[in-house]
Amino acid sequence: MTRGSRISLFLMAAGPLAFFAIFVLWPLAQSMYYSLTDWNGLSDPEFIGLDNFSELLSDPNFIRSFENTAIWLIVAVTIPTVLGLLLAVLLDRPLRGSRLYKSAFYLPITLSLVVVGQVWTWIYQPNWGLINSVLEGLGLDQLTRAWLGDPGTTLIAVILAWCWQQTALALILYLAALTTVPQDLVEAASIDGANARQQFTRIIVPLLRPATVVVITLAVINTLKGFDIVFVLTKGGPFYMSSNLAMYMYEQTFRAYHLGYGAAIATALFGLAIIVVVVYFRQARASERLYG
Amino acid sequence: MASAQGATVDEKGRRERPLHRSFVLHGFILAMLVIYAAPIIGVLMTSVMSNAEITARGVWHIPEGATLGNFLDVWNDTPTPRYLLNSFMVTIPATALSVLGGVLLGYVFSQFRFPFAELLFLVVIAGMFFPPQAMLIPLFRLFNSPVEIFGFQLIPALYDTVYPMILIHMSIGLAITTLLLRNFMSALPSGLREAAIVDGAGDWSVLFRIIVPLSLPALAVLATLQFTWIWNDFLWPLVLTRSEEAKTIMAGISALQGQYNVAWANQAAMAVIASIPTIVIFIVFQRYFIAGLTMGSVKE
Repeated sequence: MTRGSRISLFLMAAGPLAFFAIFVLWPLAQSMYYSLTDWNGLSDPEFIGLDNFSELLSDPNFIRSFENTAIWLIVAVTIPTVLGLLLAVLLDRPLRGSRLYKSAFYLPITLSLVVVGQVWTWIYQPNWGLINSVLEGLGLDQLTRAWLGDPGTTLIAVILAWCWQQTALALILYLAALTTVPQDLVEAASIDGANARQQFTRIIVPLLRPATVVVITLAVINTLKGFDIVFVLTKGGPFYMSSNLAMYMYEQTFRAYHLGYGAAIATALFGLAIIVVVVYFRQARASERLYG
Repeated sequence: MASAQGATVDEKGRRERPLHRSFVLHGFILAMLVIYAAPIIGVLMTSVMSNAEITARGVWHIPEGATLGNFLDVWNDTPTPRYLLNSFMVTIPATALSVLGGVLLGYVFSQFRFPFAELLFLVVIAGMFFPPQAMLIPLFRLFNSPVEIFGFQLIPALYDTVYPMILIHMSIGLAITTLLLRNFMSALPSGLREAAIVDGAGDWSVLFRIIVPLSLPALAVLATLQFTWIWNDFLWPLVLTRSEEAKTIMAGISALQGQYNVAWANQAAMAVIASIPTIVIFIVFQRYFIAGLTMGSVKE
């Protein structure tokens, strides 16, 4: 490399990397430091070691938020993946109007979760909401409830609203991946007597494995980041029954002004994200490519 | 998926499935279609209903009449125009800068081998997976205090302006832009740079005269994705703005949701207005948008 090239290289990399360091990496490191402090946002942070973390372990609201995040992860990995895959395979077949269907399914991913949340508020609304109206229309009045206000249903209601958008994303990823499945392979199997289910489980699903890895990784990461939909629908209530880690972090930081404690929750969240990063990069390297 | 004897074959040589199965499958697709269309049709209908009608019957019915009054009310009586302007003032520069940064880093990581290059690359693209909560408190603090050198105020506190959101979105966005552009540039014919360098060109002109024009499809993909994500973001404006002068449209909608005097119909009209830019972008650039989302799952 010539000297001129080396200078150009440095100049090109320095600017963007400086921004990344100042607004991403340095705040990450600071968060970790704050997680070791007692800090109300006004006075200076006071170093208290791992006290925040031991407090987390005995904080029922944190444990509730953690469990809710775990439940969310399970639903997030199953519903969008399964429904998205099924729908993609069905829409990929010769089917009248499948193009129009696809557009309807694509639309949700362009919408903000703020807008999605608003619509779902109306779907769950107790008096005239869509679900209760339909139930009443079917004569099932005893099943109606305040879906978001009822501690028993609030979490699943929030998660399903989130799945609405996430399933659309999974569908798009699978539809694109299906275009790479060689049609001759499916036909050859069909001629050899493989029935529809065998074609699906033995050929299509294995060939779509890279897409499945991406779908699941995005579902997990989006679950960990998941804040908007909870904030818009329930703010974590009632009684933290629909709270998750991202929501509880916000609540402790900007409502209760426990900034050190909030930083500890953020650090826990970051730890979970790092696990995903490591698993994903290993997976990607195993198949000799990175996302993209 | 047909296995039955004598099934019809379509023009691509794929067999039509037998009727009973077709019925079940169509039922499933139809059910999903209802689940996806209902919320969207619901918002659109609500946005043209009168408030009296909603008070009487809720939002889930065919409107008795259509009015554009809600849109006018929202436009004239709420800070919606200001929110929209702020959203554009954040989204356009942040999108452009994150793509520009990705162009520079993509070129560096695709054309040069240097110590720790791979590690550096991995650290940057890992940024895609970082939850924003992990940066939230320090950035909130950073933008709440002025930048001073020797007691001299260099930059005032930027809290409650659009600038912090631009800086943050552009920096976090570098992860995806660098990844996709590095991969795209690596796939360009090798030796482009060497040939140009031999002809006496510098790296800057190689990048902006040769590589960037060849990378336009990737730039279009990234611009549509980044625009959509940044436009739709809610957490950063929620935390970093307080006044109407700085709020983006998503933070604005959320703030007005909490006020009882903003009626359902007006909220729906606002939601429609707020969604138009990303829907237009999606319709115009659909091909690029989907290509961007799927770059990970489609094997070349």
